Order: sequence, then C-alpha cells, then structure tokens
Amino acid sequence: MAEAKYISNDKLTAWLDELAGKMRVIAPTRQGDAVVFAPYASGQSVELAQEATAPPKSVVFPASEDLLRYDYRKNPENLGQVDVELLPTISPEPTLVFGSRPCGVRGFLIFDRVYDGATYKDPYYLARREATLFATIACGQAENACFCHSVGSAPGDATGSDLLLTPIADGFVVEAVSDKGAQCLESSLLEAAGGKADEAKAFREKALQEMGEPQDFGPAQQKLLELFDDMGFWEDVSAKCISCGACTYLCPTCYCFNITDENAGLTGRRVRSWDNCMSFQFTLEASGHNPRPTKAHRLKNRVGHKFSYYPNLHDGIIACCGCGRCIKSCPVSVDIREIVTKAMAHQPPAVEEAAK
Amino acid sequence: MTENPKQSPLAANPYLPEIGTVVETIQETHNIKTFRIVLGSEERMQNFHYEPGQVGQLSVFGIGESTFVINSPPTRKEYLQFSVMRAGEVTTKLHSLSKGDRIGVRAPLGNAFPYESMKGKDIIFIGGGIGMAPLRTLLLFMLDNRKDYGKIRLLYGARSPQDMAFSYELPDWLERKDMETVLTIDREAEGWEHKVGLIPNVLLDMAPKPRKAVAVTCGPPIMIKFTLQALKKLGFKDNQIITTLEKRMKCGVGICGRCNIGTKYVCVDGPVFSYEQLRELPNEL
Amino acid sequence: MTILTQLKEQITAQLPKLDMVIGWEQGYDALHATPLFMRAAEDVERLQIGPLSVHNTATYLTGLRNKKVGLVVKGCDSRAVVQLQQEGLIDRENVVVFGFPCDGVADLTKVRRLIGDVGRVEEVETTPTELRLRVDGREEQVAMSDVMADKCRRCQYPNALVHDHFAGKPREPHATSDDYTDVQEFESQSLETRFEHWKSEMSRCIRCYACRNACPMCVCRDHCIAQSRDPHWVTQDDMVREKWMFQVIHAMHLAGRCVECGECQRACPVDIPILALKRKMNKEIKEVFNYDAGVDPQAIPPLLSFQVEEENINERGW
Repeated sequence: MAEAKYISNDKLTAWLDELAGKMRVIAPTRQGDAVVFAPYASGQSVELAQEATAPPKSVVFPASEDLLRYDYRKNPENLGQVDVELLPTISPEPTLVFGSRPCGVRGFLIFDRVYDGATYKDPYYLARREATLFATIACGQAENACFCHSVGSAPGDATGSDLLLTPIADGFVVEAVSDKGAQCLESSLLEAAGGKADEAKAFREKALQEMGEPQDFGPAQQKLLELFDDMGFWEDVSAKCISCGACTYLCPTCYCFNITDENAGLTGRRVRSWDNCMSFQFTLEASGHNPRPTKAHRLKNRVGHKFSYYPNLHDGIIACCGCGRCIKSCPVSVDIREIVTKAMAHQPPAVEEAAK
Repeated sequence: MTENPKQSPLAANPYLPEIGTVVETIQETHNIKTFRIVLGSEERMQNFHYEPGQVGQLSVFGIGESTFVINSPPTRKEYLQFSVMRAGEVTTKLHSLSKGDRIGVRAPLGNAFPYESMKGKDIIFIGGGIGMAPLRTLLLFMLDNRKDYGKIRLLYGARSPQDMAFSYELPDWLERKDMETVLTIDREAEGWEHKVGLIPNVLLDMAPKPRKAVAVTCGPPIMIKFTLQALKKLGFKDNQIITTLEKRMKCGVGICGRCNIGTKYVCVDGPVFSYEQLRELPNEL
Repeated sequence: MTILTQLKEQITAQLPKLDMVIGWEQGYDALHATPLFMRAAEDVERLQIGPLSVHNTATYLTGLRNKKVGLVVKGCDSRAVVQLQQEGLIDRENVVVFGFPCDGVADLTKVRRLIGDVGRVEEVETTPTELRLRVDGREEQVAMSDVMADKCRRCQYPNALVHDHFAGKPREPHATSDDYTDVQEFESQSLETRFEHWKSEMSRCIRCYACRNACPMCVCRDHCIAQSRDPHWVTQDDMVREKWMFQVIHAMHLAGRCVECGECQRACPVDIPILALKRKMNKEIKEVFNYDAGVDPQAIPPLLSFQVEEENINERGW
C-alpha cells in the first residue's frame, strides 16, 4: 500500500476542491443546528470536528430512489390494447464521502451481506457502493453514547474505508486503505508523513484504550430469542419509546425499505424509500392483521434483529456499529445498550424465585 | 428443476418485473378472482421453471405489488395461474383487470413444497377458503405424477357453496378414482350434497392414518389452529404436517426486512414450512 | 422539605392505586433526562425534576387509555392533559396529575450553540439560574436565561393548570402575555424569503416523524396520512414538497389544539424549527377566537364547535 501522507489543515480546502474536480464530494456540512452529509461546494467549510448528526447512509442508500419508471402506451395497431414499458433507473455517480467516522462506513459492511447476497443482488445499491469512496476520519475521543469497540469496531477502524485520515497537530495523516484510495493521494498538496504516521497510530491506539473495556454483547444472540415471548420484559423496556423512526433512519446499519408506486396519468414510478420497523404500517397486512401490533413487539424486532437474528445469519456479526445516534438522537433517550444489557441479565421470574 | 436464479431475469435485477398478459380471468367467488397469465413469449413460458408452492409478485403499475402462490402446477405450462382474494389496494385493482391487460410478474420466488421427500407417501390435503390455492398446485402436480405418490385425499372447506373456489374442477376431483375428495361447508345450504361442518371435525371423521403420510394444510389462522389440534389427535407428528405462511412483503427477495419471524424470512425461507420448523420459530405469526 | 421530596412522597402514597406514574430520571448521561415509568416504590427514588426534565409526559396518555396513570407535569404538560380532556381523548378519572412549579427547561440545542458538541458531558449541576457542566474535563457555566427554551420565556402557566396533587408553592408566571413577536418578525419577511427558509430547513428532514410521535395532540398515531395510501396525500419521495406537505397538515390539524409544549421541535433529530408553524396557527386562532389551547378544561376548542356568526369573522362584509 502507498506510503502515508500528511496534509496540513490550511491545505485541506484546496485538496477538497481538487478532489471535487474529479468526482462528487459529499462532506459533513452544518445546516441550521444539525450537521449532515451534503454535496461539497468549492471553498465551503466542512464540519470535521464532531460526528455528524446523520451518517452518510443516504449516499449509497438514498432516502428514496426510483427503482423503475413505467409508461403505459396505447397500441396504435389495436387501440384497445395498452402496452406497458419498464425503464429501470440505475445511475450511480462517482462519489467521495469525505469526513465520515469509521462507524458511518461500517454500516455499509452490514448492508453488503444482505444487498450482495448469494442468490439475489441489489443492483441499485451495488452500483452506488462500487462508485463510492470513503475518506474516513479516525475518532480521537468517544462520546457518551459511543460503543463501537463493543460491536467489533474501533475509533480508528479503517475497515470499509478507502482512505483513513488521522488528526494530529495542525493537520491529518492520510493513509490509503484501498487501491482506489491510493489514487486520491496523488496530489502535490500532500507531503510524506514520515514520523507523523507513528504519531497517528499512537493517536488511534490511545482513543481505543480510553474507551475502556468493551462490553460483550455475544450472549444476547441466544438470550434475545429466549426472551421473545416475555412480553412483560418488552413492554417494560419499550414503555418510553414513542415509536418514531429517528433511531432507524439515523442508524448506519438499518437497511429496511418500502416500495410504493407513484402514478401520474399514463406514466409513473416505482419508488423505494427508507422504512422502519418501529412503524405500525411496516408489517400491517391487507387483512388488518398485524404480527407486530404494539411498540413492544416492534422494538423487540429492532433489538432482536441487530443483536440476535442478523448475527445468527452472518457469522456472529452484530448489525450495529456502536455510533450511538439512536441513543443521542432519540427524543426520549431510549438506550439500546441498556436494553441489550438488561436482556442478557434477565432471569425469568420463576428462576428468580428458585434462586431465593 | 427450479429456475436457476442466476439465469433468471431476477438475477440481474430482482425488482424488475417481466411483463405478462392476462389471457383469462375467472370469478371464483364474490371476492376471489383467478388470473391466467402468460409471460412474454411461448419460448419464455417453456423456459420458465418453478416448483409447486413457489410464489410470484403481481404488479399493477401505479398501485403496487402483492404476493400470490402460482397455483397452476409446473407440469401444465400454458399459463401461470394466480387466485387473488380482494383485501387491499393492490388486490382491489387486480380485480379490475381483464383479458388482454398487461401485468407485471416477478416469479418464481420463495421455496416449494418438499414434493420429492413426499414421494411414496399418502397425502392428505386440508384446505380452507383461499387456502386451497397453494394446495391446488401441489395436488395437480401430484395427479400429473400420480404413480410417485400413495393415497391422495383432499378435504376442502369453505363458508358456503358460493365461497368455494375452483368449482370448475371439483366435479373432476370428486369423480376421479385416483383420489378421494371431501367437500364441506360451515352451515347447511339448499342443494348442497356434501358434508356440513367445520374442517377439523370433518377431518376427524375422515380419520386419515398418520403412517407413511403427510398432511398439507392451508387456510385462515383459526382453521389452521384447530386443524393442527385434530391432526395431532390423529397421531400426525410435527414433521408430517406442512403449511404455508403469509406476511406483508415488499421486495420478495430477503432484503427489505419486514417479513421475518426471528431469523427466517418468509419470502425466501418460506412460504412453505413444516409444523416442526414453525415450532422452532419465535411466536410471531 | 424540597419540592422533589414532597413530590416523591405524594407519588409513593398514590402509587399503590395506580398502574404507573410517569416522570423523569437521568438518562444515558448527566445532561440527558429520560421519561421514568414508576411502578414500584423504589422507582420513585430515581425521579428528577428541573431544567433537564424536558419531555412532555402527557404524550403517553392516549396510548395508556385503559390504565390508571399518574403523571408528573410541568405547566405546559398539564395544558396537554387539559386539551386531551376537552377533546374526550382521555378519561380524566383515570389520570392522577402531580404538579409542581416549573422554573423552565433547558433547550439542549441552545446549550450546544453555546458550548459546542455536548457528546461528552460528565457532570451537570443545576441551580435556579445556571447550568454548570463538566465537559471533557473542563468546566462550563451557562446562564439559564441564555439556554432556557423559548416556550418557557413566554410561559404564562408554569404551575400545572389541572392537578390532583401539587408539590411546593405555585410560582409567578414567566410572562404575562404572548404577543407572538417571533411570528410577526418572521412574517415581516418577503414571501420568497420565507419560502426559501422553509425549503432549506425542510431539505434535511429525514421523515422519521419524531415530531408527530412526540406530539401529545397527534392522536391519529397508527393511522396517519403520512403513510396512508388511501388517502394518498403524500408520497414517500425524499422531497421537500412531501415533507412540507406533512408539516402543513400537521400544523393545520393542531390549530387551536397545540399547547406549544414544543415537543415536535425538541424531538426533531435534525433541529428543524417547526414549532413556528404551530405558533402561526395559534396566533390566528388567538386573533379570531381569542382562545388559548389547553387552559380551561370546560372550554370548547373553537374548531370543535361553531357559531352561526363569529364575532371576529366578517362573513357578510366582504
């Protein structure tokens, strides 16, 4: 892999401008009181000091996209016959996501196992995935809601990224993680990192060390299944949940979607849009039956999917990147760590009785 | 014998339907309508491979998609047959389609009945209402491969004679010597010459023997619940009972995330499950 | 005896007769409170009130209709109870209200504006006039007057308007009237400027509907038009038009019902200032009907009734 480079803060804008000349650059941008990933405009300021409110999920998995367009056409030979023509709409644009944190990128590794499955592949997702590069910034300090080290990641985790930037005094050490990433290093604005590369490594190690002991969520895989029918437990932990979609839509790993048709005369679109398992409509059947009728059922699925069902299907990997957005952006501060911890410690009432 | 997904159009883009044409419709009951659909060309129809029990997503563009079992057997490929009960937005629109209309089809999806491992066994089909549709595909498939299977018995129940779908086939099924057919309705009706009574009770009267037998049942949840109890009473073991599940589905290919029961996705791991498998799943039907 | 101690005693005394009492406790860190569902006496120990107890406890009421629920309320929360009662959406006899004099709550967005990211708050001490925080090892002191939620600065009802128990002595209102100067100022801008403002703000909406679900008066819940296909008023497209359409429907549905607890805006994970829309509707309601939502349990909300001739609507003179 290419040699480590260094860029000083004062050259960062010039480098971003250079990169933006080659491809679309998406960077964390302040909008009102939030920080969101948005197309970079030459010279603008980017918010690299703090984790963005929303992760860069929408770059590869847009909040909505057209799966296909359809056109109904009257057959000129036979006016009674209306034909329909379908136009799939896949149009990825070469893109660099600049300034995500490791957790934001890690989400796509969770997506990949589902969207790049053995039998079915999602061509819309895969085209964008292939066309997107990630220049990720290592975290120096965990926030109170962070727990990436407990779900198999770390504040300096480069997995899934193409470039890893590590902040050191007055600039960043920039290291290529992939061949595509190495190509982004071909700029006269970057200088050889020299000894700064070791400084960067020490920075990342310190950040991980300061997070303390990781929590072992492994036992949750079995425990959550055992708790499936204990609705009292789920009603208790979901009591304060207001059943909105903030946790899922801000989650880098939540990948569920809806498909709805939008008609306009003889033409229209089939739209894929983010959907979330906290919504009553998510599993509502046409008959009126709903297998997950209450927020307790729905939160159980959200937690179960991440810490039990997904790991069960995918080599024990937890479908959570520990970014903490579901905790800190939850209007009522539901804490998924607390729920999983409670579940792992939970003993059925009968067992408690016997222990007395 | 199933379509190799790698060669299917769904391999390139699992969301892109093929355009089919409705060649015939049959009003089965006041709320069930059957559609016979052909895909693109005769060649495509011949190359279209599926197994009994697999499903398809039917599209009305502008309204949406919904999942239905292909209830014609793969041994009869002039058309693909789907029977649709009117319930929501998509099914209501589907009911307005008539001969010649275009329709989107994504198929085949999901798993199939274990028709190979059922060879040599006695089969008891127990269908209630629209639940007869998935049974029809397997029944016809077995009749077309009659020598592979033992005794075939069918118990089909509906609320009233008017609620019986596939009425055009019932005389044949009743007359055939290579199967036994018992029909039942919930309450007495004028001119009805068959059984009257709830399916589980009629089943107990029929008393199929569990030895070397498989029961295949499909119908409304309440019927399934009591039919299972009756089958247990008759001595059927969990692995001798097969049923199909329904869930709200969107993608049909295990990605969109809504039809799971714990780790199983009904769209790809189902819709066919043995009762033994169902008991392994979390309780979320 | 402190107000909190008195409140805890009142709750402990009533708890055996109730399925639960809803209040607040410390959440995942010192800065974030979280709703507390007290079912056992030991749960009451965790109760906290004060500037961080921001959530409107009345939001849970319509989902707990068949339960006996105790509710610890700030003044604004109590207005939601009143409004729900007026509309027949709760059974008042099933709700036991615990009131206390509210000194106002902190707007964490304002705290962020002042001291930067609040992801690493280690300790918080609250005084009547200050929030003292330890963040990243450094001390930060912010004046409550600088971070108090706007709704509190104009609050005329700091003491629960309905209550079955009250801890402490009622306090003076923070304000004597609401002149809607914020709305007037916004409206003084050109139509284009206002439209650009909303287009820009709504563009980052993620359609999570936290605004809707946090709203105590948003009672359609599982049957909201936002996801409905029939009626099909909004699409699921990620477009400002659709997001804005929902916000406008939400605001219209709240005209004369919104008690301005501000939960919609507080719940918004991307900080879209949507309370302004409801304030605008309430300003109109105030001008036309001279009505304040959720103040008088006996009053009939103006849009739930009609008079043949409204005093302030000139129907004949146009």
